[in-house]
Amino acid sequence: MSGSSNVGMHIDHNVQEDPEKLAEFEAKIDAGQLIEPDDWLPQAYRTGMLKMAEHHANSEIIGALPEGEWITRAPSLRRKLALTAKVQDEVGHGQMLYRVSQDLGKTRDQMLRDLITGVTKYHNVFNYPAPTWGDIAMIQWLIDGAAIMNQKSLADGAYGPYVRTMKRINMEEAFHFKCGEDMVLTLMSGTAQQRVLGQDAFDRWWYPSLMFFGPPDKPNCRNLPPMRWRMKTVTNDDLRQRFINRFVPAAKDLGLKIHVVKKSDDGMVIEKQLDPNLHYDESTENWTVTDPDWEEFYRVIRGGGPCNKQRLGLRRFSYEQGRWVRIAIMNGRAGLPPAA
Amino acid sequence: MSKIREHPPDAKGEMTSPKEGDLKAFTVFTQLQRGDPHIYAGCVDAADAKMALQFAREHYGQDQPCVNIWVVPKQAIAATEYDKDLIWRYTDQTYRLARGYAKGVREKWEKIRAKNDLDDYEKEDLKEMF
Ligand SMILES: [Fe+2]
Ligand SMILES: [Fe+2]
Repeated sequence: MSGSSNVGMHIDHNVQEDPEKLAEFEAKIDAGQLIEPDDWLPQAYRTGMLKMAEHHANSEIIGALPEGEWITRAPSLRRKLALTAKVQDEVGHGQMLYRVSQDLGKTRDQMLRDLITGVTKYHNVFNYPAPTWGDIAMIQWLIDGAAIMNQKSLADGAYGPYVRTMKRINMEEAFHFKCGEDMVLTLMSGTAQQRVLGQDAFDRWWYPSLMFFGPPDKPNCRNLPPMRWRMKTVTNDDLRQRFINRFVPAAKDLGLKIHVVKKSDDGMVIEKQLDPNLHYDESTENWTVTDPDWEEFYRVIRGGGPCNKQRLGLRRFSYEQGRWVRIAIMNGRAGLPPAA
Repeated sequence: MSKIREHPPDAKGEMTSPKEGDLKAFTVFTQLQRGDPHIYAGCVDAADAKMALQFAREHYGQDQPCVNIWVVPKQAIAATEYDKDLIWRYTDQTYRLARGYAKGVREKWEKIRAKNDLDDYEKEDLKEMF
């Protein structure tokens, strides 16, 4: 995603890489070998991997915020335990991914600060609101479902530490997704009121989940560094199509209608109509739906989404309030209350 | 045969050389394939890391394919205690595992799909009758 720079790293973009070493590096990737942090890396690879892992880490941390708000309001003890465990997992994913990023040359503190000051970004999808329990169910079904598809493809990548982290994370994502599926099934086989709650939340999250995979492919994306160096292994549009093919039939079975929506500035649906482009193409075996509004996508990335301010504000608050804890830990006084 | 072998000194009495103490213990981790995790293999005694790597190579690096070795001073490893620190709690933890939902999810899908089939059937049925 655009907009992230790497403060604290000195990167010369005009650097001429040693052609022999570069060829050796690319041969390793073509042979399916994993790249390790102590190997020789082209500068652009190190920068690119850092940007990707850092963005991913930021997203795990921010993504926990809207869900964390619902822990106290979960409808049963089991759901509360599960949501607490899920939020804990996500923050853990952030920790692992910051570790990967640190080994690529940036300090964790700088990353936490850059996230808060907007120097780096986090995933767009977390700038949308979660006003009901239905949203928690839909996030865990659609967004964690999308995250698994994306992260499975990333686990086929070439950078060893990131690949190993993806494999570990995906085991936990399977729990998030299954739990989400269970919540959605419960809502959609429940009372009329529960089904409305589910449908309304689905309408809010359908387009953000299609946008989850990023903007439409550039025509030459397979030859650009991210794919040539196996930082990514599947294009955005291919992942999106897989997602659509998986979730459209499931939504239909659940009795969910796929709508094209118009939203207010605070992310609530103000107009909707059945998706006029929804159909199954027998020849390609693909489902077609109306494309997301890419203008909205870029507007939200630039800070114009319903919850951008709220998310970063909360992150800043907890970072600044947590200062005494960090000081206590660094001085070997972990566990002690702050001096009066 | 040398003189010393024929007439070795008397083994009784105090040693003349001072006690030296042991070498340091190093824990060894081997990696069987690039990209795999390093796995605990055993322990060697050595004067320093370089020597430990050399010993680890001999002891653990040759009985199976091995592409990389780590050695860590044993005293640098902090560990839990088996009896005191229960890592896996014994209360029901299935709420945080995918398999904790497998059965419920399957049953709910079956119910919903059966109902959809029934609805379709009834719709068709109505169409045909009226
Ligand atoms: Fe995650
Ligand atoms: Fe997740």
